[in-house]
Amino acid sequence: MTAASSPIHAKPRNQNERNAMKSLELHRIEKSYGAYHALRGIDLSVEEGEFIVMVGPSGCGKSTLLKTIAGLETISSGQILISGRNVTKEEPGDRGIAMVFQSYALYPHMTVAENMGFGLRMAKRPKEEIDAAVARAAKILRITDQLDKRPKQLSGGQRQRVAIGRAITRSPDVFLFDEPLSNLDAALRTQMRVELSGLHAELGATMIYVTHDQVEAMTMASRIVVLNRGAIEQVGSPLDLYRNPANLFVAGFLGAPRMNFFDVTVDSVSGATAAISAPGLAPMTVSLADGVAPKPGDRATLGIRPENIRLSPDDTTRAAISGKVRLVEHLGRETILYVDAGALQCVSSESGTGNVTVQIGQVTPTAADAPVSLSIDPHDAYLFAGDGQRTVTVRKTIHTNRTKVGTI
Amino acid sequence: MYPRPVPETAHASRRLYMTLVGAILIIWLAPLFAVILTSFRSMADVMSGNLWGWPTEIAVVENYTAVFTQTPMAGYFLNSLVITIPSVIGVLSLSTLAGFVLARYRFPGNMLIFALFVGGNFLPHQIMMIPVRDLMVRLNLYDTTTALIIFHVAFQTGFATLFMRNFIAALPDELFQAARAEGATPFQTLIHVVVPLVRPALAALAILLFTFIWNDYFWAVVLTVSDNVKPVTAGLANLRGEWVSAWNLISAGTIIVAVPPVVMFFLMQKHFIAGLTMGAVKG
Repeated sequence: MTAASSPIHAKPRNQNERNAMKSLELHRIEKSYGAYHALRGIDLSVEEGEFIVMVGPSGCGKSTLLKTIAGLETISSGQILISGRNVTKEEPGDRGIAMVFQSYALYPHMTVAENMGFGLRMAKRPKEEIDAAVARAAKILRITDQLDKRPKQLSGGQRQRVAIGRAITRSPDVFLFDEPLSNLDAALRTQMRVELSGLHAELGATMIYVTHDQVEAMTMASRIVVLNRGAIEQVGSPLDLYRNPANLFVAGFLGAPRMNFFDVTVDSVSGATAAISAPGLAPMTVSLADGVAPKPGDRATLGIRPENIRLSPDDTTRAAISGKVRLVEHLGRETILYVDAGALQCVSSESGTGNVTVQIGQVTPTAADAPVSLSIDPHDAYLFAGDGQRTVTVRKTIHTNRTKVGTI
Repeated sequence: MYPRPVPETAHASRRLYMTLVGAILIIWLAPLFAVILTSFRSMADVMSGNLWGWPTEIAVVENYTAVFTQTPMAGYFLNSLVITIPSVIGVLSLSTLAGFVLARYRFPGNMLIFALFVGGNFLPHQIMMIPVRDLMVRLNLYDTTTALIIFHVAFQTGFATLFMRNFIAALPDELFQAARAEGATPFQTLIHVVVPLVRPALAALAILLFTFIWNDYFWAVVLTVSDNVKPVTAGLANLRGEWVSAWNLISAGTIIVAVPPVVMFFLMQKHFIAGLTMGAVKG
């Protein structure tokens, strides 16, 4: 076959030429399995050196999208460009990609060094070149002393390092990671997350990373791509997505505990503000973004993050919501309250009960069954309206130091 | 738990159990012992009808050298090796190739071909006796070892492909995706990833095939006539005389014929067991 003879890097080596070029471009990618539409019109452009994290619920198509980039899955229509080269019809080995799998996919009968040099060996590269590439990758990942071991003699974290090393030896244009940390335990996952971010900084390579873990997405990504039902919901930097979700789906997907959502009615619209109300919720006025105008009487969804709800025990007049504490979770640094607000039911809530989730950044003496009053700053509220449940409230500024501006 | 141990206190049951085990073993192994003992006998014993009792004189060396000096067994033995070894190699190669494609590639007719391989096993092969003989005559291959090799390869590949296909299908998908992503061609994947990982299956299959082909009598009789192509199974039958049979020599020949499959088992056992444990480890 041609894979052995064709070079892995059929890419321009000239630095200026490379900078002018996108690392990865996806144009209108469509993929169907029979009647099932797995990917719908995916458009994405990735700059050289970006760390792109694709997140979404199971079955959203994120792994399928990664495999189509790798060439392990064919696409029904569309175009894939890697370093400016159209690779839509090319074999995975000729695309200039390297993939790291969730299950590591190490060859059990080969040593670590043989595993890492496999791709170059298949390409019939000279032995010195393979040895040098393996040694370099092993040094970066600090597994030089493991090179003669077999995968079964290694721990999960070491196996994952070998799998990453196998990708590095091929020096690809684009690294593809398919949920690489989900088989590791929590402590190791944090450690590997930090290492991967370090590795990205060290190699300066373009990386596409698929995960369902929003902590991985928030901490590692230069940009997050949120996928749902085979389509991109929103692309942006982690904090931008968190502060300015484009729609209800993104708002609900990013953030733990989940954003609280309430069904509300738009009472009146005047200029750039809308007055909204719901049974059990004090009337509230939110600022609208330019060019959106919900009509009075429209149904909409109000969203408010648990950390933006405050307890106001002494000032019931300003309370937006009154209710009774159902459950208190003390996490040490913070406290999560689940509040039963009577008529005001939370839709698709964190606890699945319709209770309002409140996150307080300190220990609170509030106990279960205590009546509480909750206040909400309308600036922190999101309003989702229209068929696509798009965000209609004004964009929020991003506070990188994570401290919130106090309530009015 | 099963089998449940007979309690120590039930003396009668224990004695009965041990007696039965012994009796069954003796009945089961009696023919084998008779053959072994007969291979030690002198012709005088055979003539006097002492076929089951203790030999009156031990003639081990005489009998076993006689098998090679006075009968064409050495030639038959060589023929058997010439037939069996290429057949086993042929079946293993073809079934690994076919199994790999059937397990890993989706193409129209995949299931149909697989069903043919499986279904072919249900056909009683004796019904093909006349067509196969006819075919070999027309191909000018009748009464050659090639005829037997071709037949065994063709006939055993069906079962072997079923076996290999299922074994290869059970390998983790991501290994194949990883190999493909690293630019390995399908053939490189087969040689560097599949074959090392299915070594236990290949070893087990090699033992089975070797025994099947080595022990085949029917096709040896159907497809060969001359002594210089006959394998041991057909050759042993040739040793029987028209009026008198040298049972001591036939027995010694039988023992010699039984040795290669046993040796094969012990040779392959190492791969078999080492491979099984390797396959059992995750990752």
